[in-house]
Amino acid sequence: MNPEPFLQLDRVIHEKGRLAIMSLLATVPQLSFTELRDTLNMTDGNITAHIRTLQETGYVSVTKEFQGGRPLTTFALTPRGRKSFTQYINLLEQIVQQTKSGK
Amino acid sequence: MAQEWATEHLQVIRTLMERSAIYRRALAPIMLLTGTLGLVAGVAGFAEGEWARMSKLSLPRFFVLYWLGVGLVAVAGAYLLVRRQALRDAEPFWSLPTRRVTSAILPAFVVGLVVGLVAALPRWREPLQIWWLPPVWMALYGCALHAAGFFMPRGIRLFGWLFALVACVFLVFVNQRSYGAGMPPLHWAHGLMGGAFGGLHLAYGVYLYFTEKRKNEA
Repeated sequence: MNPEPFLQLDRVIHEKGRLAIMSLLATVPQLSFTELRDTLNMTDGNITAHIRTLQETGYVSVTKEFQGGRPLTTFALTPRGRKSFTQYINLLEQIVQQTKSGK
Repeated sequence: MAQEWATEHLQVIRTLMERSAIYRRALAPIMLLTGTLGLVAGVAGFAEGEWARMSKLSLPRFFVLYWLGVGLVAVAGAYLLVRRQALRDAEPFWSLPTRRVTSAILPAFVVGLVVGLVAALPRWREPLQIWWLPPVWMALYGCALHAAGFFMPRGIRLFGWLFALVACVFLVFVNQRSYGAGMPPLHWAHGLMGGAFGGLHLAYGVYLYFTEKRKNEA
């Protein structure tokens, strides 16, 4: 098997928690903190830590605003994050295809 | 090994992507509100003679406008509850799942409204003709729920089927009676609307109240 695709996998996205966050954000324009936390059953601390990493890498943008007098934090994938996520999935598919064809 | 691992990862991604589009608001309060409203409206509808006299409408016309009004109040109430939940959870009200559910129910709701208005327009409408409305509205509502169910928990689709099937039973009943014994007085149509829209929603709301609560505690 060609180890190339495996080595190219983005280590930031590859972590289980961050992969889950990226997968959710890939399908919607934005998600709030609580939506993310409740869908993934993660703790506040976990979400915050993963989001910080993703934000620092430039994969996720964070917006803070007020809705009905309450603070609302929403997250969205940046174009760079979307591109990296697509590449990550393509590489996974490549690994599956390679193994199937016995390369 | 690598293939299994990669396939598993892709499956996890797919599942998560699907889950993000699912509507997650608590449905029990909406069902309980709609059910209570339907039952109260159904019981109040039995005094249709009084209401119609006060509003100077014929009984058939009163029936249509009355239930269109109840429907509008129920929809407005449901969206207010959704908005309240969204505000409480610090989430956007007009989220993607909410928009999807709204898009799914909209065609059937619009048709139901138009059917009602068409039935309400002529002053000469016979009570017999009005008896077709409850099952048609139930069928449309069942279709709306079933369509919305693709973005909601699975139970909603089954609930939609229940409405559609009850509607079919009453369509057969109305058809049979309209050729034979004739239809009962129109206040029984109010009872049917109250029983179907009120009773079924209330029963499902009570069920959801306990199951959603248990799920949240788990």
